[in-house]
Amino acid sequence: MTPTPLTPYLPLAVVLLLAGGMAMLIPQITTRLGPRRPSAIKATSFEAGSESSGPARQRFAVKFYVVALLFIVFDVEAVFLYPWAVNFQALGWFGYVEMLVFAVTLVVGLIYIWKKGALDWES
Amino acid sequence: MNLPNLSLADFLPLLPAIIMVVGASILLLSEVFLSTTASRAYQAVLTVVTAVAAGAMALTTMFEPPQEVMLGFGVMDPFSSFLTFVVCVGLGLATLSSVSFLRKRGAERGEFYALMLFASAGMSLLAMSNELITLFVNIEVLSLSTYALTSYLRRGTRPSEAGFKYFILGAFSSAVLLYGAALLYGATGTTHLTAMAGPLSTAMSSQPGLVYAGIILVITGFAFKVAAVPFHMWTPDVYEGAPTPVTALMSVGVKAAAFAAMVRVFFMVGKGVDPQMLLGLFSVLAFLTMVAGNLLAIPQRNVKRMLAYSSIAHAGYLLVGVAALFVTGPGEQFRLLGASALTGGTPLGLARAEALRGILYYLLAYTFSAVGAFAIVSVLERREDEEKGTAWDLERFSGLAQRKPGWAFAMAAFMLSLGGIPPTIGFMSKLLIFQAAVDAGLIGLTIVGVLSSAVGIYYYLRVVVYMFMRPVPEGAQALEKSWSTELALVLSTAAVVILGIIPGPIMGWLEQASSIFGQ
Repeated sequence: MTPTPLTPYLPLAVVLLLAGGMAMLIPQITTRLGPRRPSAIKATSFEAGSESSGPARQRFAVKFYVVALLFIVFDVEAVFLYPWAVNFQALGWFGYVEMLVFAVTLVVGLIYIWKKGALDWES
Repeated sequence: MNLPNLSLADFLPLLPAIIMVVGASILLLSEVFLSTTASRAYQAVLTVVTAVAAGAMALTTMFEPPQEVMLGFGVMDPFSSFLTFVVCVGLGLATLSSVSFLRKRGAERGEFYALMLFASAGMSLLAMSNELITLFVNIEVLSLSTYALTSYLRRGTRPSEAGFKYFILGAFSSAVLLYGAALLYGATGTTHLTAMAGPLSTAMSSQPGLVYAGIILVITGFAFKVAAVPFHMWTPDVYEGAPTPVTALMSVGVKAAAFAAMVRVFFMVGKGVDPQMLLGLFSVLAFLTMVAGNLLAIPQRNVKRMLAYSSIAHAGYLLVGVAALFVTGPGEQFRLLGASALTGGTPLGLARAEALRGILYYLLAYTFSAVGAFAIVSVLERREDEEKGTAWDLERFSGLAQRKPGWAFAMAAFMLSLGGIPPTIGFMSKLLIFQAAVDAGLIGLTIVGVLSSAVGIYYYLRVVVYMFMRPVPEGAQALEKSWSTELALVLSTAAVVILGIIPGPIMGWLEQASSIFGQ
C-alpha cells in the first residue's frame, strides 16, 4: 500500500470503527440474550431510589440560566488566567497589564450583576 | 519566547473604541450605583459626550498615513477613521433622539446607552479589522449588542418577535460568514487580508472550487448584514419591532461598518482572484437590491416599514459603488470626469478611489438623512398604537406642517435627501456614486439605479404630501416637546442642507480616505 496523506490517520479509523461497532453490538447482545421479566415497579422511571414526583418537563426559573451564563463567563476567565499564570515570568509586565485590563473588565461586569441582584437567589 | 513588541503608541489608534467601551462601563456602573437618582438625563449626556470624544479622536487621525494596529490584525487609515467618525455621528444623533422616546416608555436605563456604545465600539473596530478572525469577533460584538437592543422594550410582542428573528438570522449569517472565512483560510493558509492576495491566486489555479465557495459564502454573510436582496427578509420586521432610535443606529451604523469590512475584504481578495467575477456578483446583488427595495417600499403605508425598505434600496446604491471598485482596467469608456478632482495614481486607481469616495460620502449622507427621519418617526409614534401597528401609519403625518412646521420642514428635507433631490446631501452622494459607476463603465447598472431611485421619489414624496396637504386629523393629541430630539433634528437638517450645497469640507477628508486603495 502506498502511503497517502491520510495514512497516519489509519489507526484512528480503526479505533472509530471498533468503538462504533461495540456501541452497536453490546446493546444488541443484552437485548437478545438477557431475560425479560417486566413488572409494574420496574416500569416506573428510576429516580435515585426515591419515588418519582411527576414529569421532568417543568418550567424552570430564569435564574438558573443567569447562573449558568455567569458560571461560563468566569469559567472562561479562569481558562485564560491559567496559561498566563504558568508563563507569568516570561510575559512580564506586558502580560500583567494585559491581564489586568481583562480582569478589570470582568470585575466591572461582576460589580454590575452583583448590584443588579442577579446573584440573589431568594428574591 | 517571542513577545509581541507593543508600546503605548500601538493603542492610540484604538482610542475611539476604548473611549466608547470605558463610557459604556461607566454607564453600567452608574446604573447600579446611582439608580436612586430621579433623573437619568446624565446618562444620555454622558453617551453623547463619549460619542463626540470618540468622533473627535477619529478626526484627529484622519490625515495620518495608514499604519498597522496590533501586529497587523487591524489597520488604521483615513478610511477607518472616516467610518468611525460616521458611526459616532450616527450614535450621537440616535442617542439624542432616544431620550424622550425612552422617557415616554419609562425605560430610561444605563444599559440602553451602554449597549449602544458597545455596538458602536464594535462598528469602529470592524472598520479597522484587517484579519478575518478579528473581523468576525467585531461583527459579533456589534451584532450581540444590537440583538439585545432590538428587544430592549421586551414587554411587547413585536420587540420580542423582532429580537428573536434578528438573533436567529443574524447568528445564521455570522455562521455562513465564518464558514466562508474558514474556506478562504483553507485555500490560502492565512487569515491576514494583506497576505492573502498571493496565496489566493495560487489557490485559484489549484483549488478554484474552494476559493469560489469561500468568496460566495463571505459575500452571503455580508449581504445578510447589509440587508441586500435576496438576503433582506429580516429587515422590515426587525426595523419595525426595534425601538425607533435603535432602528436608526442599526440602519446607519451597522450598515456603514459592514460595508467598510466588505470593501476591505473584497478589495484584498480582488487582488488575488479575477475581479471580473466579483464585479459580476456585486452587480447582480446591486441590481436586485435596488429594484426590489424600491418596489417593495411603494405599498407600505407604515412609515417605519417604508424606511426599512428604503434602507434596503440604499444598500443597493452602495453596492453599485462596491461593484465599481472591481473594474478591470481603464478602457475607452473611462472618462474619469469625477476622478480628475482626485490626485495622483494610475487611471485605474483613480476610478477605484472615485468609487470609494462615493461609498463613503453616501454612508455619511445616509446617516444624517435616515437618523433624522427616524427621529421624526419616534416623536410622532404613540406607545398605545404599537401593538396594533398603527403607530407609524402615514395618517400620523397628516397636517404636521400646521402642527409643527419645524418638524415638517426637517422631515421634508430628509425625505428629499433620501430621494436624492437637490439641494440636499442625498443628491450629492447619489451623484458621486453614479458618476463613479459611469466612469467605471457600469452604464447599465447606473441606468437601473437612476430609474429605481426615481421610483423611490414616489414613496418619499407621499410623506411630504401627507404632511403639507392633508388636514390635521380629528382628535389629534398634542405633540410633546423634547429638547434633545429637536437638537438632533436641527443638527441633521443643517447637515443635510448645508453639505448638499457646500460639500467642500467633507471632500478633503474623503479624498484622503479614498486614496488608500487607489494604487
